[in-house]
Amino acid sequence: MSQPLLKLDQVTIQFGGLTAVSKLDLAIGDREMVGLIGPNGAGKTTAFNLITGVYQPTAGRIEFAGLPIAGLKAHELTKLGVARTFQNIRLFGSLSVLDNVRAATQLHRSHGVINALWRGRAFRESEKEVRSFVMDLLGIFKLDGCADEEAKSLPYGDQRRLEIVRALATKPKLLLLDEPAAGMNPTEKEALMHLIRFIQEKFQISILLVEHDMKVVMGICERIAVLEYGVKISEGTPAEIQSDPRVIKAYLGTEDDEENVEVVHA
Amino acid sequence: MKTGLDPIYKAIASVRLPGAKRWLLVGIALALVASYFSGQFNRYYLGVWMDCGINIILAVSLNLINGHTGQFSLGHAGFMSVGGYTAAKLSLVYSPSVPPEWHPVLLCAGLLLGGLASAVAGFLVGVPSLRLRGDYLAIVTLGFGEIIRVIFQNTEAVGAASGLSGIPKYTTLGWTFGVAAITIYVVAALVNSTYGRGFLAVSDDEVAASSMGINPTRYKVTAFVLGAFFAGIAGALYAHHKQTLTPTQFDFMKSIDIVVMVILGGMGRTGGVILAAIILTWMPEMLRGFADYRMIMYALLIIALMMLRPQGLFALNFKRKGGGAA
Repeated sequence: MSQPLLKLDQVTIQFGGLTAVSKLDLAIGDREMVGLIGPNGAGKTTAFNLITGVYQPTAGRIEFAGLPIAGLKAHELTKLGVARTFQNIRLFGSLSVLDNVRAATQLHRSHGVINALWRGRAFRESEKEVRSFVMDLLGIFKLDGCADEEAKSLPYGDQRRLEIVRALATKPKLLLLDEPAAGMNPTEKEALMHLIRFIQEKFQISILLVEHDMKVVMGICERIAVLEYGVKISEGTPAEIQSDPRVIKAYLGTEDDEENVEVVHA
Repeated sequence: MKTGLDPIYKAIASVRLPGAKRWLLVGIALALVASYFSGQFNRYYLGVWMDCGINIILAVSLNLINGHTGQFSLGHAGFMSVGGYTAAKLSLVYSPSVPPEWHPVLLCAGLLLGGLASAVAGFLVGVPSLRLRGDYLAIVTLGFGEIIRVIFQNTEAVGAASGLSGIPKYTTLGWTFGVAAITIYVVAALVNSTYGRGFLAVSDDEVAASSMGINPTRYKVTAFVLGAFFAGIAGALYAHHKQTLTPTQFDFMKSIDIVVMVILGGMGRTGGVILAAIILTWMPEMLRGFADYRMIMYALLIIALMMLRPQGLFALNFKRKGGGAA
């Protein structure tokens, strides 16, 4: 990890008098899987929104591959190689499964208006290529069987998977997953962990997992950062995090996180 | 889709791409043939059918903005008037000095110039206002349409409130339906491409589209400019069909008429929108027998249609199903 792919340097954001994230340092290396966890209201989602350009940091720097990215629009960020999923799934509901992914490929294969109207040989070839690229990608995730179905008609688990496939179609270097386990039962969570690990191996990309569910994060991340009240209180391997008294205290300190406390103790 | 017909669907999907241009040629050829025989039609019916062609252009182009891209423009009559006045002025100035056999060329120049003037207007209105969404965008475009109308109403060069008259009658059935075929082709070919899926993506979820590398502003402006371009051409055809232009022809009600065609046809469904444009052009004509009650009947029929088919005339979904490759 000589030069990190994503680097947050003393990033702070304040909303009025409230400091939601304070002096956050975080680095994600090439092909690294990092988890960002913390109890409810710790600032995980705010940190995620800072990276994806939804919020501007009040102070500090955010760099991707050496370039400052604070202030970039979402589509510019995607162009650089950062893709994301949404906590509450945001597919293009009325488009087919195929078209959902197809829409995301145009970053690399856009023809513009003239070619779409003229429809020459090169255009047709490339449309065919897009289709086979998308079908291959869907095939990897066993979604090719429902390629022509409306995205919103898919079962919940498939929608989550499709959202990840769509993000991968932009050919990212870094994939940001915003609470992918939200609303999943234990079996689905298990499958999700396999899926994320598989993506990281297959596509050789970095993944930042912002997650509430400790079990999922502990199971797959190489490194974990823990937030509490907007401050990073600990960072290390899953084993280190599990035995860190500050982390245990942070999770014990909130009443609504009993489920997670057990995991920490386990 | 998983039926025994699957290979047939696939076959159709695979020939449709190279065949798209062929369909366009068929459409234009049909329009020209109809135009050739149009001398034998009843003049009244001929006029209404030309109105149909113009309304198809307007509705299909507005559908790109309001249907496919999910914006809400109420300014289509404004764009139409920009194109109409531009082309009419051109014809009024040059038609005496141009030999009759060159009149179609003059019309062609008028159509292009009118379309371009309108596209420029679309760009100027679109860039600042497309940051707004839904109702707010509707109000801004509505305001724009009214501003254009007031400008024409107070400009002596285009006849102010009395408008332009004596515009040569160049528009024929062939021109209206030929241009309608081109409009349908352009919108369909655009939307049914990988590039064009961006319009639908923006319509479905702008935030998600942006996260997938799609620049929503660019797509919205493109839709707006293209929509305005074809509205301008429709306006030019209209000018050379009605032969007189007054600012009141392009008031807010005209925009509403086009929006109704799009909504009734089904947002984003080209086939339905074409059908709705034809039906809504003929309906007031058919109701002439009701004399004073005509517009009330028209309104009642629209209400009935909306209640019976709130999803649009065509439940068939042309663009989003049936083999994504098309």
